[in-house]
Amino acid sequence: MDRREFIGITAAGLGAVALGLQGCNSPHSIAPSDWVNVGVIGVGGRGQHMMRMLLRVPGVRITGLCDIYEPRFAEGRKVTGEQTAVYTEYRKLLEARDIDAVMVTTPLALHAEHVIAALDSGRPVYGEKSLGRTVEDCNRIREAVRRTGKIFQVGLQYHYAPWYQEALRCIGAGCIGKVTHIYACWHRNNSWRRPVPQGQEAQLERLLNWRLYREWSGGLLAELGSHQINFANAAFGAMPESAIASGGIDYWKDGREIPDNMQVIFRYPGGRTLEASYVTTNRLDGAQERIFGTGGSVVLTHTDATYFKEPSDPYSAVPPELAIQHKLITGPTYRAEQPYRGKGESANGGEPEDVDLLACREFIDCIRNKRRPKADEQVGWSEGVTVALGNRALEEGRRIVFAEYLGAA
Amino acid sequence: MQTDQSFRDACKHSVSYPRNRETFPGPLGANTPFVAVADPLRARSHRAMGTEFAVYLDATDDVQAQACFDTVFDEIDRLELTFSRFRPSSELSRLNRHAGQGPVVTDPEVFQLLAFALDVSERTGGAFDITVGLLTRAWGFAERQPRIPDGRELAAAKELVGWRNVELDAEWRTVLFTRPGLELDLGAIAKGYAVDRAIEMLRSAGVSALIDAGSSSMAATSAAFASDWKVSVASPVNRPLTICEVELGERALSTSGVSAQSFVHEGRSYGHLIDPRDPVPERHATARQALQVTVLAPSSMLADALSTAMFVLGHEHGSAALAQFTDCSALWIYSDANGIKCMGHRWPGHDLLSLNTETHGQT
Repeated sequence: MDRREFIGITAAGLGAVALGLQGCNSPHSIAPSDWVNVGVIGVGGRGQHMMRMLLRVPGVRITGLCDIYEPRFAEGRKVTGEQTAVYTEYRKLLEARDIDAVMVTTPLALHAEHVIAALDSGRPVYGEKSLGRTVEDCNRIREAVRRTGKIFQVGLQYHYAPWYQEALRCIGAGCIGKVTHIYACWHRNNSWRRPVPQGQEAQLERLLNWRLYREWSGGLLAELGSHQINFANAAFGAMPESAIASGGIDYWKDGREIPDNMQVIFRYPGGRTLEASYVTTNRLDGAQERIFGTGGSVVLTHTDATYFKEPSDPYSAVPPELAIQHKLITGPTYRAEQPYRGKGESANGGEPEDVDLLACREFIDCIRNKRRPKADEQVGWSEGVTVALGNRALEEGRRIVFAEYLGAA
Repeated sequence: MQTDQSFRDACKHSVSYPRNRETFPGPLGANTPFVAVADPLRARSHRAMGTEFAVYLDATDDVQAQACFDTVFDEIDRLELTFSRFRPSSELSRLNRHAGQGPVVTDPEVFQLLAFALDVSERTGGAFDITVGLLTRAWGFAERQPRIPDGRELAAAKELVGWRNVELDAEWRTVLFTRPGLELDLGAIAKGYAVDRAIEMLRSAGVSALIDAGSSSMAATSAAFASDWKVSVASPVNRPLTICEVELGERALSTSGVSAQSFVHEGRSYGHLIDPRDPVPERHATARQALQVTVLAPSSMLADALSTAMFVLGHEHGSAALAQFTDCSALWIYSDANGIKCMGHRWPGHDLLSLNTETHGQT
């Protein structure tokens, strides 16, 4: 088994995903036996968003909502447009007979408990990323998927973005040469905090703002970086060998426990690097991945990919006329050191659709056709473990060697 | 707190706050005085849906205020990603691509918004119409490059436009265009819906707030200060001046006019609010065209839709249509030989509002 098989991802395999799933928009052609009733565990903001996406897929109903915060029930029923059954105990939802599949959109630290219980109930499961909060959680979820043999899809929706797939195909085909370095960033300018009803701060702060507390959250690396780590693992065809990290609670000093900025450097086999940066005080760079190869570069955003060919002459990265136009002539070394400011070649690789809708459509299609999702438990495991160990590097303030935690995984 | 020029320019109405009675920020126009918001009220603006959403909060502290701003702006961005006709991955774009070929399933939120829009269309005799976008585009208003369309272009657009060409099936939650090529444009309603959603979130957090979606709609929620939000309706011809003051309470207000988007061709003025039933946007061509209409309604979405419809219908027909909507009132502003004239429907004191040329200028 080579590395690619080991982590369950191949660029070519991804390239074939999901593009053929757009055809049917009408529910009339769905046989009654093919309707899928979904129960949702965790009806907060993300859960409600994913419910909307599921309900855009023909032949899907939401038949159960589970949450421990009761105001979510009214919100969830507004999303479903009907008096959907509600549960405050997830085991009760799993006992319901009118549920064919389960979506788990709960805080990260609860993923393992909820996903494993849902799998053990005999149903297909869509589990939000990151796979699990710890390496142990990720191992348990992967084991449960394999033990039960049930369909499991991890919520790494960019896995289904046509432009991501095309970039992976391109990288796999060598069109930007040997990829040595990926720079990923997800820079925002907001507090990441949700308002808590006045007067109920003591009871509800940690429930509604769970992302800000270590007990429940994997922080920026889990909530944002997981998508980028998933891409890097696929592009490199491997998992990292080690990680070092920096970061802290340096601006939003509002009682939170997770860093408001974080930088991680992952080293991959063959001397390749993912450098990832997460900032909550400036959004100039937004969310993007810049993939650098010896023959060119690809810049990925949430909506498209742009390709840049590496100039054959390393000193002509900035054409002189362009340099003059931009008043870049500052000294004798400008030609070698100025960033390239020319246009690249843009591509989005297919019909532009919401990536969450693509992921939901894939999940339902896998259930109906009894096939394995491309973003399966192994894809989720490699992402989840990478996130967990990246966070450990920050928590322990030292270089983490992955082999010490993964053993013979 | 943001107090820059773009923020000031984006605000169509002026808002006053009872604690210090200062007015902030001003109505449209750079000459309007702007007074910085005093503590504890906090203000922030956010660009989305082609406009500037200004949010005023009475939060308990900075942390709470920040959380409210971030949550509200995230929600507005989500709705832009859903309803934008400029973003190819939006749900609206997906419907526009596929609903001409067969029924398309959409989620209840989108379905209900479309059903609401078609209901307003029916009750206003088609004066409000979410299929009017092709006509707006034919006139170049959609791209902000207005022009006189040629006859063939106008005829092709007219062939497709019409709210009755949209079929909604509530049982299956599907959308179907009976005329392929038809396009939905929710520009006259989505901003109002976004304001309503944001208000709903702030209300559940127990925060008193006012949201102004710049060019069209605003709404307020009040915990402790239910009657405190006061809004001044701007003059359509002399922006620094105001027509009247409205106590918003927990209602929504929307103003429609063409002064910001119009052009003159061969001596005639054309504005962007096109009558879907008679698609030649001739502003001032006849006395029946208002300069501006302001609507008060229980929701921002309804106020948004009705202000467009009332502008198209004018006072006489608009008043008849508005009678079907409970708790809604409207104020039309016309020009006449003496200056500007206000006509209202259920609008308190509208007969006292006629204003002369001296103060509001000749139109």
